[in-house]
Parts: sequence; structure tokens; C-alpha cells
Amino acid sequence: MVGRAFAKATRRDTETLKYWLLIGLIVLALVCAPPQWYPRAWRAQWADWFGTPDYRPLPMSMDMDSPTPESACPEDLSGWRAAQTIEGVEILPSPTCVADNPYAVAAFVRGTNNVSAQTLAASGLTADAVVKGRDLDGDGDPDEIHIRLEVVELNGGSPETAGPATQYAIAPGITPGFWAFAPKFVGMATENFESPVARASLRLPSPAIRVEQGDRILITLENGHYMPHTIHLHGADHPFVDVNGEGNDGVPIASEIPVMPGAARTYELEPRRAGTALYHCHVQPHVHFNMGLQGLFIVEENRPNNWLQTLNVGAGQVRVPSQASREEYDREYDLHYLDVDSDLHNRIQASNDPRLITQSMHRDYDITDATADYFTLNGQSFPYTFRDSLVVVAPNERIKLRVANGGMNRIGLHTHGHKVTITHRDGVPAEPAAQITRDVVTLDTAQRLDLLLDTTNDGLHAYGSGIWLFHDHGTRAITTDGIGPGGHISAIVYEDYIEQNGWPRTQGVSWAPYFTAAYYRKEIPIWESYAPGLFGDAGADFLAVLRLAGFAFSLGAIAVLIIGIVRRRCA
Amino acid sequence: MINARCVGGIWLAAAVANLATAQTLPLAHDPAAHAGMVMNHNVSTLPRDCAEINGEYQFTVHAGTPFSAEFPGTIFGYSEREFAVAPCSRITVTFVNDDEVRHQWMVHGLPRYLYPAGMFHLEANGGASQTGTFIVPSDDRTYLIHCDLTQHMEKGMKAQLVVGRGSGDLWAIPGVSANFNRDTYPMRAAGILIALAATFGAGLALGLGRLRLF
Repeated sequence: MVGRAFAKATRRDTETLKYWLLIGLIVLALVCAPPQWYPRAWRAQWADWFGTPDYRPLPMSMDMDSPTPESACPEDLSGWRAAQTIEGVEILPSPTCVADNPYAVAAFVRGTNNVSAQTLAASGLTADAVVKGRDLDGDGDPDEIHIRLEVVELNGGSPETAGPATQYAIAPGITPGFWAFAPKFVGMATENFESPVARASLRLPSPAIRVEQGDRILITLENGHYMPHTIHLHGADHPFVDVNGEGNDGVPIASEIPVMPGAARTYELEPRRAGTALYHCHVQPHVHFNMGLQGLFIVEENRPNNWLQTLNVGAGQVRVPSQASREEYDREYDLHYLDVDSDLHNRIQASNDPRLITQSMHRDYDITDATADYFTLNGQSFPYTFRDSLVVVAPNERIKLRVANGGMNRIGLHTHGHKVTITHRDGVPAEPAAQITRDVVTLDTAQRLDLLLDTTNDGLHAYGSGIWLFHDHGTRAITTDGIGPGGHISAIVYEDYIEQNGWPRTQGVSWAPYFTAAYYRKEIPIWESYAPGLFGDAGADFLAVLRLAGFAFSLGAIAVLIIGIVRRRCA
Repeated sequence: MINARCVGGIWLAAAVANLATAQTLPLAHDPAAHAGMVMNHNVSTLPRDCAEINGEYQFTVHAGTPFSAEFPGTIFGYSEREFAVAPCSRITVTFVNDDEVRHQWMVHGLPRYLYPAGMFHLEANGGASQTGTFIVPSDDRTYLIHCDLTQHMEKGMKAQLVVGRGSGDLWAIPGVSANFNRDTYPMRAAGILIALAATFGAGLALGLGRLRLF
């Protein structure tokens, strides 16, 4: 009897205890809940009653270890930047930090069949890369030109390695897959056997091709890539079929079967008009054009002794300008823009089996859903654009810029400190009245503009010496996947602002973060380098974490208690 | 006789055709003048560790897209993908390119004191062939052979040279060794098969439990 009564009393006490415990837990939950979860009015009232809460230090800024930046301007160990005469070809100095191989430039001018063994070896080219033949019009320069192009894949897949094969970074740590047309270079595709990095000559964009008006030009596509390709001459005068009636337009749905892997085809043209055109692959162009199989195709006016630099690897400065260019301009630069949807470009790295790659690129990928993540000028994004795609000028000069937009987005190209004059649109000279001068020029996809950059300091054409950026003012394109500064930012730099090594003498913030992959992986606070701590990453708030843990603990305990009570009541 | 020389080759062609003759050169070139190159040809200099030539080998290797047919998921290929030789042997390779594009037969890892960059290298233009000779050292080792045009090795143009007992197969050689990175292929009706297998496994476990076998 006594025992049962005791048990009953104990049970009742336990019940009461449970209710007290429940109330206690609810109070704990309310105390632990972060203050900002309560309505403003309640908090104001609370402060009125009990006073403003005491100061508590906010989390400290985190200590950042700054990663070691890459060298901004690699030393020119080979002496490629200097002005030099090779094979009788006078090669202009390269004002920028990274220069093209001058031996290759000389071989492109004379023809790889016309240079010495030493020059050819130093150029790295095959003897048939650019073959120059007879002078048909007797004006002192060759008019039979045979260019051979291969297709290279950069940052491609591998059945073995962890990283991509034949690596080519457009910015620190950024290696989307690319395809490009390339001249024929002997030997290895990488720097050496130990390095996975592509040799300097294998890069984006596909080389700018320069030919003379009226020349007999053969372009052989030696398709050593694992997918079918063609060459379509966009805007350069060519017949639809060649002399044998074979397709010559490069369009698989209209003129020909594409050039299959391991096969070659020769395209022919004798362009009657000068102008800036394009060449590109026309197989599944919504994929192949965007992957980088596109380059400038420039037809120069016929002049005596017009030995042209047939290929300009990586576009940029023309180190051996044409006679027509020398007549009117002090310098010439090729500027080729491309944007990159990483979703497409990464697909060649995701698998190695060409059947899986082709399905992924041509059927699974949907370009109607595409957005560009990376934006390149001459195959590189900021800060690499400053290595070899600056427009270096001096006062009172006339500079010719040939600009092409190979990206899927329109570009509103803005030149700081200068107003440029449009002299040609899509290779066609503009009438004098239509030669508009402005500081934003628009290029839609595949459009070309020839621009006159006049550095006369008159307050209209130029505002004087300095480092003046030029970039698409659609501000997506000045970022690298949303991180700025990035994208295709480059600059018009006056010679008095260029260091001996070709690097611009900027005044402003440190560029060290921009030369780290971590910055473009979004791991470094934007202003950390020159305002340490001020805008650094805020550290964790441990008290807030404790409060949340307490809140979660009490909610869990409350839930168990309530379930217990309900079950007992129902039983 | 050791030097980086070029046979049949581009250096010769280039030396003959200097600027003075540029205007008279026909556009169509003799294909033989552009056959390719041989790098680090060596018929007589012995590696330090070899007292004499221990063996003599002649290989003819064809290269091209047709040799990929045997191996699904490749595009380029060699006719032979494994070469076994005795230590200190002399190897003469005739490399025949059956495609219309450039291909290479490049050996890596040879002693650098004898072969600059550690390479023996044959490069043949489309439709051309090149022949060269080299002598391997005495140690048991497996050497990489590949075509270093971008993606040619990755898409099938890979082989190995096994000297003596070799040092183990390299990865991803068609017909010889597996890929290290394995692609995921479509698995049709895989869901049904996996569900059936799981059900069968559960049923079997239940049945065994009923029988008190464990």
C-alpha cells in the first residue's frame, strides 16, 4: 500500500518537474535566440525598460596569408623583345613584356621555305608551315602563298593525368578548354617533357593571317584534331567551289563534307579587295567557333615589296607591318576578343572518350542557355593582357587597330583618354562623313572595325600621356567569372609610362593579388593588399554560434518533452 | 655520331632554298623535301653502361586514324604499341605516316648525356615516312613512346618500349593497359538491375535468417 502511494506521489512529482523543465527550456530558447530575430519594436521596448545592451567586440578580421604571386613580367631570356633584323627582315621591337619569337616572325615574312636552316630551327616551324612562291606581278614580293594550319587543343582531357593536358592559362589558375588553329611547329606541344604547360607558340587566339590583295592563296587545313573541322573565310573574297568543283566555303550543310580527323583539305582564294575579315571553323559553329577556332583574316592592299607577316601568333602588335600600313600609320595592333562559357569549355576535360565528348558538346550543351564567364583579348584575361596585349603608343602618332569580336556577346569598347575614329567596318572603308569619332565603339559578334587611334593631345583625340585602359563597358566583361579586375581589360600605354622590361609603370594599388590563382578563386578580399584588416574577411562570431547551439539544444529538448507529455495524456 | 640532325629533311630543304631563289621557287614543293625530321639519331655511340651492342632490331611502325578502329574511344593510333628489346640493343625504326596530318614517334626518358632532352624523335608529315636509329642503355626499363601533337596521345597514340624486363606497364596504352581516369558510360536499365539485385540480396538475408543459419 505504502509503496504504491509512494510510487504515485513520485510520478506526480515527476510530472510537475517535467512542466518546470519545459518552462525552463522555453526561457533558455528565448534567451539564446539571436536578438535580431525579435521584432524591432520589442527590442526597442526592452531597451527602454532595461537599458541598451553593453558593448561587445565584434569578431576580429581574419589573418590572411597572402599567396606568393606569379611573376608579372617574365624575363625576356631569349632577347625576343629587341628590334632585330633576321633574314633581311626588319622586325620592330616589342614594347610589351612578352614578345613573339622573332625568328618565327621572319620565317612568316620570308616563307618557311626561304629561310636558313638556323632561322627555321630557331622559329620552331616546319619547312612547309608558310610556303612562299613566285612573284607573279613582278613587284618584288611573293604572290603565291601556301599556309598550313593544324588544330590544337589546349587544356584538354587525359586518360591519365589529374590536370588538363597541354595547359594554357588565360589568367592565374584559369584553364578552360580551347581549340585553336595553329601554324605547324615541330617537336613537343609542351615546354618540355616534365612540364604540362603548352609551349608559348601554342595559344589563343588562332593566328591573325595577313595576305596581299590579288595573291594566290592556298590554306591547307591539316586536321590533326579528334573532331571534324573546316575553314570558312568570313568576309574575304573566295569562290564557293575550287577549280575542281570541290567545296571551298567550309560550310558542311552547303558546300562540303568536313575535314575528318587525320585528313587535310586545301582552300583557295585570290581576294580582290582589301579589308579585315575572319576565318573560322563552320562545323557546328555554335560550338566550334566559340571554342576558339577563329582568327583575323586580313587582306592588305597590293604594294611593291610588300613582304607581309603572314601569321601573327596570338594577334597583338604587328612586328612587320605592311607597306600600306607604314604609309599611313606609325604602329598596328590586332585585337581579337572572345568570351567563354566555362560550361562548354570544360566539357573537353570531363571525359576522354571522343564519343562522350562529342555528345556532351554537341547535344547535351545548350547554347541557348549559355552565359559567358571569361572574357579574353588576344587569348588572355587581365592581368595577363598586360603582358602582350597593350597598345603602346607615343604622342602625335597614328595607330591602326584592327578589332574583331569573336565572342557571343556584343562589345561596347571604351577607350579611356582617347576618342578613336572608325575607318572601316567589316573590311569596307567608311565614307569620310561616316568616319565617326567616339569613345565607345560597338562590335556585335563577328564584326570587325578598323580604328584610327590618334595620339595628338588636342582634348578630343587624346588627353595626353598616361596609362589609359580600354575595355568593354558592359561591365561583365571586365570580370573573370564575376571577379574584377579581370576579363579583357587592357590599356593604351604611352612609352614614357613603360619600364625597361615592358611593364607599365602603374601608380595605384598593388597587383600582387591579381597574379595569384587564389584571387580568381574568390578567396582573397578585394582590398586586403593595401588596406590589411580594414576590409579583410570578418572572423567567426563564436558567441553567436554558442547561442544558436543553445537555441537548438533547447528546441530539441522541448520537442522530446512535449511528445512525452502528449503520449502520456493520450494513453 | 651524335647530334640533333635532320634526315630527308627540313633543314636541307631550307638551306637549299634561300631568299635569292625565292622568286623562282614553284609553289608546289616536292613532298619528300617536307617529309619531317629525325632527332638524336645514333647508330654507333654506346650508352656508358653498355660494353657492346647486344641486339639489333628493325621496326616498321605505321601511324594514323585507321589504327584506332580496333580500340573504341580512340581516334589516332599506331600499328604497334609495344616494343620489347634486349638491353644495350640498337633499334632502327621506320615510321610511316598513313594520315594526311603530321604524326610523331617520340621516345622519352633516354639518358640526356647521349640524347639531348632525353628524347629520340621521329616526325613525319602526312603521307611521309622517316627512319632513325638509337641505342638503349642496359637497365630494365619501360620507356614512353607517343605522338605529342595535342590530344594525339590522349586519343590513342601511345606505346611503350620495354627494355629487358621493363619497369612495369605505363597507363592508357590501347591493347596493353587500362586508363587511369575512367569515363562513365551509359548504363541502360541499370536502375532495374540494381533494384532487382538489392531485393534479391535482402530476400536472401531474410531467408537465411528464418532458417536460423546465423
